[in-house]
Amino acid sequence: MKYLMYFLAIILIILAPFHGQIPIEFYNINNPTSVAYKLFWEIRLPRILVAFFAGGILSLGGLIFQSLFKNPMSTPYTLGVATGSTLGVAFAIVFGFGSFVSLFGFFGALFTVLILFTLTLKLKSYETNSLLLVGIALAFFYNAALMILFYLSDESQSFEIIRFTMGSVDVVGVENTLPIILASLGLLSLSFFYKKELKLLLTSNDYAYLKGVNVKKVNTILLVTVSLAVGVCVSLTGPIGFVGLIIPHILKTIHKKSAEQLMLPIFFYGGFFLVLSDLIARNLGNNSDIPIGIITAFLGGPFFIYLIMRRK
Amino acid sequence: MLKLSNYSDDILKNLSLTLNNQQSLIILGSNGAGKSTLAKVLCGITPSDILLQNKPLYQYTTKERTKLINYIPAKLEIFDDYLSLDEYLNLSKLHTLLESSNMLKLLALEKLKNKPCQQLSSGEQQLTMLASAILHNAKITIFDEPTANLDPQKSRDVFSVLKSKLFQSKIIITHDLNLAYKIGYDVLYIKEGKIVFSNSSEEFFTESNLNDFFGTSVKRIKDEIMVNL
Repeated sequence: MKYLMYFLAIILIILAPFHGQIPIEFYNINNPTSVAYKLFWEIRLPRILVAFFAGGILSLGGLIFQSLFKNPMSTPYTLGVATGSTLGVAFAIVFGFGSFVSLFGFFGALFTVLILFTLTLKLKSYETNSLLLVGIALAFFYNAALMILFYLSDESQSFEIIRFTMGSVDVVGVENTLPIILASLGLLSLSFFYKKELKLLLTSNDYAYLKGVNVKKVNTILLVTVSLAVGVCVSLTGPIGFVGLIIPHILKTIHKKSAEQLMLPIFFYGGFFLVLSDLIARNLGNNSDIPIGIITAFLGGPFFIYLIMRRK
Repeated sequence: MLKLSNYSDDILKNLSLTLNNQQSLIILGSNGAGKSTLAKVLCGITPSDILLQNKPLYQYTTKERTKLINYIPAKLEIFDDYLSLDEYLNLSKLHTLLESSNMLKLLALEKLKNKPCQQLSSGEQQLTMLASAILHNAKITIFDEPTANLDPQKSRDVFSVLKSKLFQSKIIITHDLNLAYKIGYDVLYIKEGKIVFSNSSEEFFTESNLNDFFGTSVKRIKDEIMVNL
């Protein structure tokens, strides 16, 4: 059953680029003179790649945050990283740096990580709860700043910001997907490098400490890595919420294994979920795409509630 | 081997303690006296200047530290919903040649091997932690109420494991006076964050001392310490 699910998911991911408002014939993608060639390599494939790797980063990031904070509600969004990124993008739009939107988004996330990191060093002991509270406070602060930017912006700028916050995996050109692929590989390899430590941290910080984990160091490294990967992600796609919260929970409920054994499945199904959501978003509307964030919430919300209700 | 000098915090007051090689200790005291707080200082979870083999604990590498000291809390704390008993024990297998399967046999936990730790009963969790302590095999192991939550039969099993040669040095925090009495280790009595008694077992378990520390709630009848309800 589980293998069948993987098989079907992979088939769907492979077929995804060929479906859309303009269908692509498979035999045309190697013919550089055809429209299909351009459409496939310049538009559809980058989209699928971004959707897949963004979904993977958000889901694995969610899993790691939940494990580090020992809180099933926490995701990179909880610490204000995504909001920081959104603020950076809004700043770029309002103050005329429109062509550097992604860069500003990334620095928004980076700036947030630096604030959190400095505060972590100032905290007496490594209290994850205080950091969570700081993150929430920071997100409120950012939202207020975002309101100011809205207030200062004209109509078209407002629309641009709102559209960004709805999320989109619309990226043109395969070369532009490179940052998110690199971020994914970085996050995945580091998570596997710290697999044993993560497993110990799944019990309690004290237990991990007694078994020889440098809790503060490992927590900090993983926190910063996840935040940076999410920063790359959000600057490209906008804040696509919810994925990081639901995918880890769904897979834990299905597989019933400890979280560190589920890192790859969670990355994979997170990616699959966004590819599927994007496929629906592209094919549902008449002439334009529906923002992907709407689809993820509509699909994920009810299914998530169903799983929670079914849980013993 | 272990030396804490003049340690103070919100709960503990100017507390000093020495434990020699191969020595074991019983720590007694009423609820809220600071026993668990002290345990966390001794094992390094709460940072302090504590010396182990004449070197500050924080100067050891993490690996060397695990060889020296381990702490078994009163309650099993576990975040993950599905981490199994067997996985938990394997995480603790550090300085021993014993196999976790032997531990499962010894404590009759075999049937529960693949069960998530979170779904174990509190008594089973207590045994799980004891097994993890044996597998960890540190020079000093601190137990926080190792016989709480256990039925009489299991209490006796745990007592014999604690008394056996499976551990090197032990510090046992307990409310079980009969256990404290029968095991015969030196006794430390803590009251409001201060050590008010520190001497041998024979010195502690006298009629007058029992009366001083526990009033009429505890009686020594022949060779048993009884709680007088």
